[in-house]
Amino acid sequence: MGAGIVQLMSLSARQGGDGPPPRGRVPSASEMLHGGCVIPGVGLPSGDEALCGADVLPVLPALRGLLPDGLPRGSVVAAADPGLLCLVLAAGASTAGSWCAIAGLPDLGVVAAADAGLDPGRLLLVADPGEGWPQVVASLLDGCELVILRPPTRPSAQVRRRLEAVTRRHGGVLVVAGDWDGAQCRVIVARQEWAGIGAGHGRLRARLVQVVTDGRGAAGRPRARWLWLPGPDGTVAVVAAGIGGGLEAGGLGVGGLEVGALDDGRDGDTGEVIAPWRGMSAG
Amino acid sequence: MSKARGGPRRVLAVWCPDWSPDAPVAGPEARAFEQVVSAVAEFCPRVEVVRPGICAIGAEGPARYFGGEEALVRKITDTVNALGVVCRAGVADGLFAAQLAARFPAWAAPSGAGPRAGPSGAGPSGAGPSGVVVTPGRTAAFLAPYPVSVLDVPGLADLLPRLGIWTLGDFARLPAADAANRFGMPGVRAHRLARGLDPRPLAPRQPSADLSVHVDFDPPADQAEPVVFAAKALAERMQAGLAARGLACVRVQVQAACEDGRDITRLWRHDGLLSALAVAERVRWQLDSWRTGQDARRSGPGQDARRSGPGPSGPGTSDPGEAGLAGGIIRLRLIPDQLVRDEGRQLGLWGDAVISDRVARAATRVQAMLGHEAVMQPVLAGGRDPAEQVTLVPFGDSRAPFRPAGRPWPGRIPAPAPATVYPVPLAARVTDDSGDAVAVTGRAVVSAPPARLSAAGGPWLTVTAWAGPWPVTERWWAAASARRRARFQLVTGDGNAWLAAVQDGQWLIEASYD
Repeated sequence: MGAGIVQLMSLSARQGGDGPPPRGRVPSASEMLHGGCVIPGVGLPSGDEALCGADVLPVLPALRGLLPDGLPRGSVVAAADPGLLCLVLAAGASTAGSWCAIAGLPDLGVVAAADAGLDPGRLLLVADPGEGWPQVVASLLDGCELVILRPPTRPSAQVRRRLEAVTRRHGGVLVVAGDWDGAQCRVIVARQEWAGIGAGHGRLRARLVQVVTDGRGAAGRPRARWLWLPGPDGTVAVVAAGIGGGLEAGGLGVGGLEVGALDDGRDGDTGEVIAPWRGMSAG
Repeated sequence: MSKARGGPRRVLAVWCPDWSPDAPVAGPEARAFEQVVSAVAEFCPRVEVVRPGICAIGAEGPARYFGGEEALVRKITDTVNALGVVCRAGVADGLFAAQLAARFPAWAAPSGAGPRAGPSGAGPSGAGPSGVVVTPGRTAAFLAPYPVSVLDVPGLADLLPRLGIWTLGDFARLPAADAANRFGMPGVRAHRLARGLDPRPLAPRQPSADLSVHVDFDPPADQAEPVVFAAKALAERMQAGLAARGLACVRVQVQAACEDGRDITRLWRHDGLLSALAVAERVRWQLDSWRTGQDARRSGPGQDARRSGPGPSGPGTSDPGEAGLAGGIIRLRLIPDQLVRDEGRQLGLWGDAVISDRVARAATRVQAMLGHEAVMQPVLAGGRDPAEQVTLVPFGDSRAPFRPAGRPWPGRIPAPAPATVYPVPLAARVTDDSGDAVAVTGRAVVSAPPARLSAAGGPWLTVTAWAGPWPVTERWWAAASARRRARFQLVTGDGNAWLAAVQDGQWLIEASYD
């Protein structure tokens, strides 16, 4: 959707540059559509509502830096570990009124999910999807727009393709807590540090995490952001510039992770990640 | 008909306090209640199960037979007590007053002089400590001192006191037309209850057509699952048939006929509110309870008579879908009972979470694959540790948590909540720098700072930060759930944070903050 805005602006800029603008009036949206200025299907975005559009599920505002387009319907998102990050990914859609299902996570902390923004009233839990879990997940995708899954067994390529097809057909989003080879987008927590607790005093209050996303197609460019997950007030928020840098300088002691010049939202949009996945698995 | 036309019938309600109204209304509860229902059914065949914990019978016939209502109350309570179940009974005009008489006789006797001393001598004529019998025709006077919260109409319970109406007597004094104007249909029903009438006048005419619906099973169904599945479609048909005539039923009779000629018949409270799914659920309870009742009878009388408790550990909670039904079901019939005019139900403009058909269909399909309790919906509850703060309710069941949320729990684990809560805590080992296990004394003093942690036999992790111990002693008055723990929060070198506890010298990992 963001791409739509850019396209419109660049088109009108080019129009202005190439020839004299039409005198006296601005072309209406439908004229632009019929005149071929806007590619049909891209739609006309209008601010934030664009994120709740027909072909994406919204994400929490704090995650827009990582997933500027939200969660595209019909896609598979792989988060390396089950944990708060999976729940936070689903929270935006749940807040916007979608039903969510969580399969294969008998030890889910529902209170944490509710605090993250998942509405417990629109949540289905299938703790043990059993042997026929692909069938169960396919049924859940029929009813719920977002399904969080930890596969009980490693899925074969055939099962993966089938579930991806089901996800596309129903226009849902499948968030996998684990590995998924064909995932459109992968999200991991690269580093984390807890705040508020010392040696025998204090208590856990907040956690600073560096979340890295990577993927195929439109989501292809690796991005990294420092987030409060959760913050001191329990919400997910973007860390103000400077705090994350201090942490990096202080050294978090995450062994084996080679992170190059990351696009972490502080020094412009260009950046490069040197194989964070390989680094994680090696470390 | 001994009573004046239009007045409510005499009803005897039996209330068993073991089944808390807040407890999850799940299969095991309903199954365990079956023995009480069977005992009451010895006196009157048409026992109506209001919900697990409360059942009711029409009192007129049995009272004549057993020599008066007091005698009937004594006989029934004695029979149920003989099963080892505590119960109280109440007799009054109409179900609402009878339930109150059984549950809260103390309101009627604020002086503490026993149930015999009613307010201004008007109300109950006593029947000993086991029950209260309200004199016929004095039900309104009996109800007058009760607070309006007993009406159990959520909108009215807090609105009426703000208008200065504290008791049912105050409310009943309002003109009926004004109650209808101000509070709508729920108000009219509540007002009728407060005046000691039935909530809705019975539709006096007999139904011209047979509104019961049935389905035959050929070959006979020997598993509960297909019967329950058919019950849902059957309930939809029954509802459609009633709706086409603008009627709703107060109760629904579920009748399952067995291959060997026996009938399993039970009345369930309906009030036009049960969805097809909920009716199917009651069919499941009925079949389950009937089967466990059979098992109990086979294993010896009186042995399984005591309620086995709602927990998953009780002997009566074996998986309902697995064992077969002894004697296949050949016919299932749903008979709507006590027809009333359907006044409809207005859904709130905001706030009512309406479960869409699509979600219900998906959840039901998964339930058909994995069993009823495989698809849960979480309800936030009260408690100190993260596992207690959630009650899981099977999809389609009613959703009141055992310990309601939003009450103060001193000593609860502070926010943020852990993202992973282990259903069974992991055994762990925590040592200090020299490799000795860290212990906590009875006065909550740590022997040495924790330095290393190994969870569930995993690798040793360095503890980089820790907080605690936070001692908690819970429910020392109940031996089964009593617990004495000292909790810690530990942060390990890999960046993860853990909620750990020491109980009886053993370290446990309760949750991970990951």
